[in-house]
Amino acid sequence: MSEAKVQTGPLVDPYGSTRDDCAVIALKQVTREYAGHGSVVRALGDATFSIVAGEWVAITGPSGSGKSTLVNLIGCLDRPTSGELKIDNVDVASMSATELDRFRADKIGFIFQQFHLIPYLSALENVMLAQYFHSMTDEAEARAALERVGLDKRVSHLPSELSGGEQQRVCIARALINNPPVLLADEPTGNLDAANQTIVAELLQDLHRNGHTIVMVTHDPEMAGLAQRRIALSHGKVFCHPVGGPMVTLRR
Amino acid sequence: MFFRLLMESFRRQRRRKLLAGIAILLGTTAVTAMLALATTIGDRIHKELAVYGANIVIYPKADLLDVKIGGVDVKPASGGSYLKESDLPKLKTIFWGNNITGVSPELPVELAAARQSGGTLFPARAVGYWFDHDFGGLKTGAPALHPWWKLHGAWPTANAATQNAMNVAVGMKFAQQLGLKVGDKFSLHAAPGVGASSSTATVVGIVTTGDDTENEILLSLQDAQMFAGATGSVRRVEVSARTKPEDAFARVDPDSLTPAKREIWYCRPYANSIAYQIREAIPGAQAEQVRRVEQSEGNVLSRISGLMWLISAAALLAAGFAVSAAMATAILERRGEIGLMRSLGASKGAIAMLFYAETGLLAIFAGTLGYLLGSGLAAWLGARIFAGDGGSAEAVLIPVLLPVVVALALVVALVGSTPSIRAALRMDPSAILRADA
Repeated sequence: MSEAKVQTGPLVDPYGSTRDDCAVIALKQVTREYAGHGSVVRALGDATFSIVAGEWVAITGPSGSGKSTLVNLIGCLDRPTSGELKIDNVDVASMSATELDRFRADKIGFIFQQFHLIPYLSALENVMLAQYFHSMTDEAEARAALERVGLDKRVSHLPSELSGGEQQRVCIARALINNPPVLLADEPTGNLDAANQTIVAELLQDLHRNGHTIVMVTHDPEMAGLAQRRIALSHGKVFCHPVGGPMVTLRR
Repeated sequence: MFFRLLMESFRRQRRRKLLAGIAILLGTTAVTAMLALATTIGDRIHKELAVYGANIVIYPKADLLDVKIGGVDVKPASGGSYLKESDLPKLKTIFWGNNITGVSPELPVELAAARQSGGTLFPARAVGYWFDHDFGGLKTGAPALHPWWKLHGAWPTANAATQNAMNVAVGMKFAQQLGLKVGDKFSLHAAPGVGASSSTATVVGIVTTGDDTENEILLSLQDAQMFAGATGSVRRVEVSARTKPEDAFARVDPDSLTPAKREIWYCRPYANSIAYQIREAIPGAQAEQVRRVEQSEGNVLSRISGLMWLISAAALLAAGFAVSAAMATAILERRGEIGLMRSLGASKGAIAMLFYAETGLLAIFAGTLGYLLGSGLAAWLGARIFAGDGGSAEAVLIPVLLPVVVALALVVALVGSTPSIRAALRMDPSAILRADA
């Protein structure tokens, strides 16, 4: 993955409005501002892009660039100050907090850098927890999800009895269990050694091949290179690149 | 899954639950001990106050009548009417008969005493008492109802009395007046024409009482009856009964109540209702509450109860703060879980429900344990505070307190944990979950 050219302004989404019909995530002039001490901080400004079903997109950018804000918005953990944000063709900007909770359970599967497994629940129970908050638990389905990530022999183990890679695979199984249209992976390999990074990367590739839409936040150029497209952020501005586009070094 | 979460959280995170559990346990232990003591303190205080004497006195109803001729009260100062000694066993037949813990009949008689036979006569007031009388299995008499009396020597025995020689105890001042010591003899003379005329009395004991009794001769009731020429009669009876502290309902006139209310009044062991039952049982008898002791008992009880309520409230408040602090720590440690649950679509209500259920379960466990420990503590405290009445730690398991204490534990734990749970739910889940947040 080579460095090609310097961008000084936001790029237009090359897919433009022609992608909107099949977009699973669509942002139109989405802005998120936070009230600070007597001033307003714009964490994300006028973001416009879309992600189609089955696409694997990497979100990159330095700390403070607005990555977290964007992930919170796509993950339905937050709502934009202005603009239109559609997930699976539903505008979430005007949803109430309760509706957003329900919607999040249905549409988003989270994969975290820190895994965030409940320490007193087994691998199986951690997967079933996502079923519980979504609808109802199904142990056979949860076992199948763990089998899919290669953990069929570790179902009754506590997180403390699993390696980092195994914990991340439990996290992926949990993200998949409710068949959400979007998998939102936040630094999925950030806490793993090289061997486990490879295992998780292969697992994500496999999921992508099977048609899952993956939005992945990463600092790791190699992981970002696995994605079809990269959305780069700087100072709250979005820069989009097409599939196979060049790497961008952002001038800070 | 909800119960699985709950149970696994308890099974695998005992350390985290321990702090809040101990706070609830200590609070409920203190509250149980205070409540258990407060409910049993009536009996104990009665025992303590029994040393101050009788709480009911019986005398002939005739004493209530005004006998006036031309505006002058001509009723004899000492009264001329008597109660029958043979009526006294009826005291055990009243509804609250088992609450009567002491009975002491008295018969005063005016005598004259001489240090030596034929010597100068001094006017002397003698009072006949029971000293160690078997009253239906209850050993009772003047010493039992006047436990502050100090005796040097022995009490007179009734069966030692004969017409010409009898055993007596004398008050300390009387003994000084006549220069009497234990074992000395002196002569006693009745008023002319009344009962036995004279007798030789042997001093078997000298009594210090701190009141007018020190000027008196204390003899057996039987001997006093012989001198008074009033066989089988008593002038006054002091009764010590275990009573319920007086309240407004205790003071009402039972005859003004509806039959149902009167029944309730009658069946409560107020000193007034016991006195009422005594009046019913013994014809011609007037029984009244001795308000001095009764009111002291009521006042002491209300003050101690007030203090105990205050301690209970303080213990609960302290437990509430401790639970709040413990829950704040526990929830801070578990903020990752909360963030995760929110990301999985759990509503704030569902998460709050989970934490409240955990707290509630902890309160039930700790509250039950606190109830048991508190009951033990009450027994131990009771034995130490009221060491005079035996000092043994009796179990004070009051079943009705269990739901009360568990309910209090639940309220304290739930209220105490609410600020932490609310604060946790206000936290931004994304900030909790993101490593670079």
